[in-house]
Amino acid sequence: MLGVAALFAFGVRKQLRLVGTVTLAALAVAIAFVIALPMDAGGDVLDLPWRMSELGRLAAAVLLGTLWLLVLAVWVDEPAYNFFPTALAVAAVVLAILVLTTPIAIYAALLLGLFVPVGSFTFQVHRNRSAEAAYRHFSFVALGGSLGMAALALSASLGRDQAPATFVLLVVILVVAFALKLAAIPFHTHAALLASEVPASALALYFGVLVPTTFIAFAQILVLSGLLPAIVQIGKVQDLLLALGITSALGGAFLATGSTELRRVAVYSVIANLGHSLVGIATLSGPGIIGAMAIALVTGMAATQQLLAAGTLERRAGADRPSATTAPLAALAFVVGGFAMIGAPPLVAFPGHFFVELIAYSYSGWMGTALVIATLGVLLAQLRAAMAIFRTAPDRWQVERRPVAGIVGGLVFGALLIGGVQPDGFLQPIAAFADEFLRALHPL
Amino acid sequence: MLLLAIVAISTLAANSARQLRYSAVAFFGVALAAHLIDDGSLAAAQVVVSASAALVASAILFVAARDGRFGEDPGWRLWVATIVAAATTAAAFVFLRPETGDEISASLVGPDPSGVTTEVAAFWLLSSGIAILLTARGAVRGSLGALLMLTGTQLLVRLVPGPHLALTLLLSWLQVVVALAGAFLIVNQRAAREA
Repeated sequence: MLGVAALFAFGVRKQLRLVGTVTLAALAVAIAFVIALPMDAGGDVLDLPWRMSELGRLAAAVLLGTLWLLVLAVWVDEPAYNFFPTALAVAAVVLAILVLTTPIAIYAALLLGLFVPVGSFTFQVHRNRSAEAAYRHFSFVALGGSLGMAALALSASLGRDQAPATFVLLVVILVVAFALKLAAIPFHTHAALLASEVPASALALYFGVLVPTTFIAFAQILVLSGLLPAIVQIGKVQDLLLALGITSALGGAFLATGSTELRRVAVYSVIANLGHSLVGIATLSGPGIIGAMAIALVTGMAATQQLLAAGTLERRAGADRPSATTAPLAALAFVVGGFAMIGAPPLVAFPGHFFVELIAYSYSGWMGTALVIATLGVLLAQLRAAMAIFRTAPDRWQVERRPVAGIVGGLVFGALLIGGVQPDGFLQPIAAFADEFLRALHPL
Repeated sequence: MLLLAIVAISTLAANSARQLRYSAVAFFGVALAAHLIDDGSLAAAQVVVSASAALVASAILFVAARDGRFGEDPGWRLWVATIVAAATTAAAFVFLRPETGDEISASLVGPDPSGVTTEVAAFWLLSSGIAILLTARGAVRGSLGALLMLTGTQLLVRLVPGPHLALTLLLSWLQVVVALAGAFLIVNQRAAREA
């Protein structure tokens, strides 16, 4: 349904009222369908099995809901006609990734989703470097995607008597391929260019929806591919994941601290949080996995909130520095988005950070310390950004016209607050996935 | 082996072409030869789907060129890409080939159930694609590199047990989307340069 809607939206993309209505309606129907679908419903499409898991349902509701808010913001505040078919295609792909149970099919669907936004990354190519940023994204995804899928295919065709060195090499390629797609440091150069050149809404689509989906796909592929027992036996792969995670957490926080642009602060905060998530997965423990998935999902929502707000503030400021005086509600949305980025209680962002940092400390003292330092770095970056926005105050605060970013920010904050008050509803489905992960780790 | 030779020569032709339209036609030759390599599990439906996707991808690049002269001169990149691809293919074959213990049957024409021809073609396409992509200056050679890598990946996926037709369909769609994204970038980069 979402795929057909995407094709239809592409056909009528220049009729904003029609395409906006169709996109929002299709996404709303998809969310309702996902929620109404019985747990563990499944079947086959062309012999390709699918199953709706607890995590699949939660992640689908969160990611499609985020997309719905994004589409609403674009329609009302920043009409970009390419965005609507892209959003629908991404929604279809997200749903496919969450329900498919064949690792190569999940991987192929993920690549489809990562290539689709190339069209919405470019705008006014004569005036900026958005075409170059889109090309760099294309190259990174093509390189990481093909290498990762090839490694996955090769490892699936390996016999049990294969030399361990071959296996290590393939798993390392797979991990690096995902690091490329997740923009983990040191594979983040395309993300840096995207952050400064592409429209804020397209950036929010990428960092708010596609990056968390990529992380979930990575975890699902690890579980479904049967690679986990070998990863446990070969400590090098676990060490690689930990090293990537720590480097991303510290590097992202460091880069965020040094950034003066709001959107860069948001993007580097996402990279730092994904570093936390990678460490969580790499600990191969229940709390680590729960924390990792929770951080990935919440960070996506917070990134959407902050990037939309940053876009609005930049647009309203024109050639001047973004300031709360021109769009106070958007500025407020950016600031409260920072609470979720650092994992502050009582938001549902807190349990994820708490679990990962706790398990990192139990793993080794320096690793836990590194993650706390990374969180402090993100906190500092968010505080600097907030102070920069609110540096000047008008005589009388006046809410901006069409405060869409502020309203979206308020809705996201409300959802995160409700999740924080009732954390079981959010963490229980993730815990069910962690159980699957641990069972795959030690098969009987 | 004959098809493997066609894959290698067509890849060199696509890599060395200065005009995008020649690259697009040569890519179709690469993809067609690669998908016709018979490892004993070749199904007509899969070949038709893969070949159709390759034809569409080539046509998209052909149209994106807009005129017969547009392209990217590979220059020294051709030699770097070829040497790196040849060395990497040999290394990948030595280190990554599954140890099946099957006897290798390398006839000039006819099927190769050991899968060696498929694997060598896959490793060659992946290595060539990486080398072209990493040395590309713009979307013209970048798109070619991406499509070659994806074709190599398709060959490796064929060796995995599972729902082959569904995976072929999914990867064929992916190939078309890669070509569309590449063509979009080619048109935009050209517009930016000519402004």
